[in-house]
Amino acid sequence: MQDIYLLVSGPLAWAAWAIFLFGSIYKIWKTLDTAKKKEQVLFSYVSLKYGLRSIINWSIPFNTVNMRLNPALTAISFFFHIAFFVLLLFVSAHQVMLGEGFGISWFTIPDTLANILAFGVLGACIFFAARRLTVPEVKYVTDWTDFALLILVVAPFVTGILAYYQIGNYMLMIILHMLFAEAVLVAIPFTRLSHMLLAPLTRAYIGSEFGMVRNVKDW
Amino acid sequence: MRDILYRYAIFCAIILCMSFGSVAFAEDTGVFDVNAFGTLERPVSQFDHDAHMEYPEIDEDCSVCHHVYEDGKLVEGESSEDQACSDCHTIKAQGSQPGLRTAYHDQCKGCHIDMKKGPVACGECHVR
Ligand code: HEC
Ligand code: HEC
Ligand code: HEC
Ligand code: HEC
Repeated sequence: MQDIYLLVSGPLAWAAWAIFLFGSIYKIWKTLDTAKKKEQVLFSYVSLKYGLRSIINWSIPFNTVNMRLNPALTAISFFFHIAFFVLLLFVSAHQVMLGEGFGISWFTIPDTLANILAFGVLGACIFFAARRLTVPEVKYVTDWTDFALLILVVAPFVTGILAYYQIGNYMLMIILHMLFAEAVLVAIPFTRLSHMLLAPLTRAYIGSEFGMVRNVKDW
Repeated sequence: MRDILYRYAIFCAIILCMSFGSVAFAEDTGVFDVNAFGTLERPVSQFDHDAHMEYPEIDEDCSVCHHVYEDGKLVEGESSEDQACSDCHTIKAQGSQPGLRTAYHDQCKGCHIDMKKGPVACGECHVR
């Protein structure tokens, strides 16, 4: 078990971050390149001002018409995305490992808050799954890969909670926790999780077209 | 749907209450002098001091852990078991002298990794 733990927390973690980093650069480059080949004209629309304006407006909860139409979805989505990154960056155990591995660390959140956020993330994922199963227009565009991705994303949180409370076989849980998290990292550039990388690009483009060409707001 | 989330919220509330409850009881800190940490974030680490003395790589040599440094150099044959780690190691690192938590972690885990046996994952030492 010690060997597996050290492998998963050492070399595999490095590999996952490297694939994530280079995969992301590739994905962004590839997307821009395809756009350039297919529609050279796209780029002449893009404006920093209108692009940023759109990104900022879509980053404020309930700021867009669309968000106000779906208040529950908006609140839960915002919570989910914020909690995801807050947990990743500020959980004390992550900071202990960062600090002792690299000598860098920043502030941490209390474990109590981390637990509340983690349970909240599980709740949000239950909501996303239920929504895919029940809301007709969402159900229509859903296939098994959506659920596979959702399970992949929720898995680090489930195993993280089980490891924290030491429910079940601890070593198994903590190893699975790291493995699933590494799988999520690797999946980001190559699955629909790439919206993390591409959403700002799409937003910037739509914002530019609406702002510059049609002279209207896109939110 | 609302029903699922509702039940889920109650379930979470129960688990969280249970975990607050368990923190409230004062813990036996074993051989460790943990006062410097203030309120502890984790259950105190497992550690069988006597059993460790018997391991061949330690073989009753107190200075393996209770070390003495002078001008940044390890003093062979001298030991500091009359002092707590926290007497020298402050919470924050001071130059090449690691901070208290890192001092424990590096010493304990360092040897376990070298020996290829003994705990290295958080919850193996900080058992609930
Ligand atoms: C594997 C590492 C290790 C070795 C080897 C070791 N100790 Fe310790 N000992 C510790 C740690 C860690 C503590 C807790 C110190 C602290 O928290 O400040 C401790 C604490 C102590 C204490 C105070 C604990 C109490 O009950 O109040 C004494 C006394 C002590 N050790 C004596 C010895 C003697 C004598 C030897 C050699 C025969 C020895 N130790 C070898 C790790 C070790
Ligand atoms: C008498 C003071 C003193 C005590 C007591 C002491 N240390 Fe240290 N320790 C030092 C100093 C000084 C250094 C820094 C050496 C250097 O500058 O490289 C150090 C370095 C370390 C290091 C990093 C270098 C190494 O040896 O691996 C670890 C880990 C460590 N101490 C753990 C502990 C633990 C655990 C205890 C309690 C069991 C302890 N120390 C007790 C003074 C002390
Ligand atoms: C110099 C080497 C060494 C140091 C330092 C050391 N250990 Fe160990 N420890 C071992 C070895 C070897 C084992 C494995 C015993 C086995 O499985 O046969 C072990 C096993 C353990 C175990 C498993 C149960 C047991 O007691 O056998 C725990 C818990 C543990 N160590 C805690 C600690 C903690 C906490 C520290 C730091 C304060 C520490 N150890 C420092 C060598 C060391
Ligand atoms: C080999 C055993 C061992 C392992 C593995 C280990 N610790 Fe510790 N840890 C200790 C000891 C010994 C102390 C000092 C005594 C205490 O507070 O338990 C300590 C102290 C701490 C403290 C400061 C005291 C407190 O409770 O606030 C934190 C935080 C901590 N450990 C977190 C972690 C995390 C997170 C991990 C995994 C990344 C981890 N530890 C892995 C042995 C271990």
